[in-house]
Amino acid sequence: MKIEVNRPAPVEIAAEKSPSALSIMWRELVRDRLALVSLIILSVILLIVYGASIFLDQEEIVKVDFLAIYSPPSAEHWLGTDYGGRDVFGQLIIGARNSFTIGLAITLITGAIGLVVGLVAGYFGGWIDNVIMRIIDFILVLPFLMLVIVFVAIVPKYNVATFILIMSAFLWTGKARLIRAKTLAERELDYVSASKTLGTPDWKIILFQILPNLSSIIIVNLTLNLAGNIGIESGLTYLGFGLPESTPSLGTLVSYATNPDVLQNKWWVWLPASLLILVMMLCINFIGQALKRAADARQRLG
Amino acid sequence: MLLDVRHLKVHYPVRGGFFRRVVDHVKAVDDVSFSLNRGETYGLVGESGCGKTTTGRTIIGLIRATAGEVLFEGTDLTKLSRRQFHPYRKDIQMIFQDPYSSLNPRKRVLDIIAEPLRNFEKLSPHEERKKVQSILERVGLSADSIYKYPHEFSGGQRQRIGIARALMLNPKLIIADEPVSALDVSVQAQVLNFMKDIQQDYGLTYLFISHDLGIIRHMCDRIGIMYRGRLVEEGTSEDIFANPQHIYTKRLLSAIPNADPRERGKQTALRREVEQEYAQAYSRYFDETGRAYPLKPISPTHSVAIP
Ligand SMILES: Nc1ncnc2c1ncn2[C@@H]1O[C@H](COP(=O)(O)OP(=O)(O)O)[C@@H](O)[C@H]1O
Ligand SMILES: [Mg+2]
Repeated sequence: MKIEVNRPAPVEIAAEKSPSALSIMWRELVRDRLALVSLIILSVILLIVYGASIFLDQEEIVKVDFLAIYSPPSAEHWLGTDYGGRDVFGQLIIGARNSFTIGLAITLITGAIGLVVGLVAGYFGGWIDNVIMRIIDFILVLPFLMLVIVFVAIVPKYNVATFILIMSAFLWTGKARLIRAKTLAERELDYVSASKTLGTPDWKIILFQILPNLSSIIIVNLTLNLAGNIGIESGLTYLGFGLPESTPSLGTLVSYATNPDVLQNKWWVWLPASLLILVMMLCINFIGQALKRAADARQRLG
Repeated sequence: MLLDVRHLKVHYPVRGGFFRRVVDHVKAVDDVSFSLNRGETYGLVGESGCGKTTTGRTIIGLIRATAGEVLFEGTDLTKLSRRQFHPYRKDIQMIFQDPYSSLNPRKRVLDIIAEPLRNFEKLSPHEERKKVQSILERVGLSADSIYKYPHEFSGGQRQRIGIARALMLNPKLIIADEPVSALDVSVQAQVLNFMKDIQQDYGLTYLFISHDLGIIRHMCDRIGIMYRGRLVEEGTSEDIFANPQHIYTKRLLSAIPNADPRERGKQTALRREVEQEYAQAYSRYFDETGRAYPLKPISPTHSVAIP
């Protein structure tokens, strides 16, 4: 048995907590060079994007100017203009803001829905679980891309908000399944049985006993998902089923590269956006990987 | 009489086939009756998978009974809704087998032990901490453990934390499901003796579940031998160990390892003899489906499952 070392620490001072999941994750993140650099780069990009977009006027930027079609980078247009004479740098900033906001919003909304649904299905099981899982199965067999295309066609005012809602309606299922599986495993552990025999109500067991044990998994999953969701917006817009041209996005800029002339001779239109997507997704992924390692170490500890 | 279990049955559905329909039932507990007197320790013994855990968890309401009654001070617990069961939670507590999974790794000892208090009593944080610290000292841990996390303790210490948590509401009945089987042998005796101590202090009644007859002999006043979801013999410790009647009980007893090396040869011979008898007499003790017969009293304290 462990031998207790007699420390003079008085009881009141001993209130210092052992490191929480968050602080362990933070430590792992800071120790990992790549993740730390990624975090700094991402923060700088986001600061610039959200800071600069305050001063940029979206109406002004998307206004067509036929006197300045495809002008290369210059002092007036830092990254040149596109086929409508619109400033690419301005579109890049606004586009990055839109794309990131969309990715973040989808991640948070699907995360919240997935968490609630997954916890309820996993904890209560039985017919509740059955009904929820059948609904999820149904959503999963729907042809996602085709339905998005139909929505794009029938929704009259298609903008950032509607895009987020449509995406979220489909993308919560994966998270719900993940959380459900973890909750099912957690529910079988004796500390949950103990809580029940101690008279703790179900909602408290779910929120204060089970949820803290899932926090690392949730944070890791949401981070890695964020990268994917930014990609989804760009991908769909590139295919022409995302946001309209009046709402700049990174996907819009990249999609100009479908024109071979632009692809070969007008690099300033599509290259910055492509690089920005690449850098953002890589950064988020590196951060996510570091968090994942922290979560695993934590599980070994617990 | 504190607890009276009558004709308790717990059948788990076995699903299979195309639409995951119920194709069969596992009769984990199949018509078990026994009762506990105030202040005594009743031992439930049997090989792994015979339904001991299921019996214990059904009594405390973690598993739904398929049929039968669990009368606690005259109230049938199996018929109560969750809300109606709530006040009885104070009276019946459980000590779990696994000291690792039974404490939430994310909670401090204070929060773990205070959990039942927070559900039943409104105490100020100061009173609550005082109470937790005093019970910690009672179970042999230092009072400044309250801000530590479970992983900072050994298995034996964790089990003591589990016991402290169960004691917090002054229960009348404690169901101990193999409370020491996950611990080192060197720590087992300590925890068992400690459980005996607190039984005196708190006036506890134990339902003590174990597969280890040595431990059962050390702890229990009365014993029920369980086999495939049924009781095959029941009696006082004396009845079971000095005068075993059922062939399965004899077999269990002969399998107790003997610490004395000189006795080993004798033991092996005895074991072989019992095995032979078991094979020959099997059909006299079990019906054609392999099910044990209902218990028949052969003395005021001693019952055996014979036709
Ligand atoms: N949730 C369950 N679903 C189906 N069968 C179960 C379940 N839990 C236990 N069983 C079965 O019930 C029987 C009794 O199990 P248990 O009560 O854990 O036995 P013991 O505690 O004596 O080892 C075993 O055959 C086991 O496989
Ligand atoms: Mg068991």
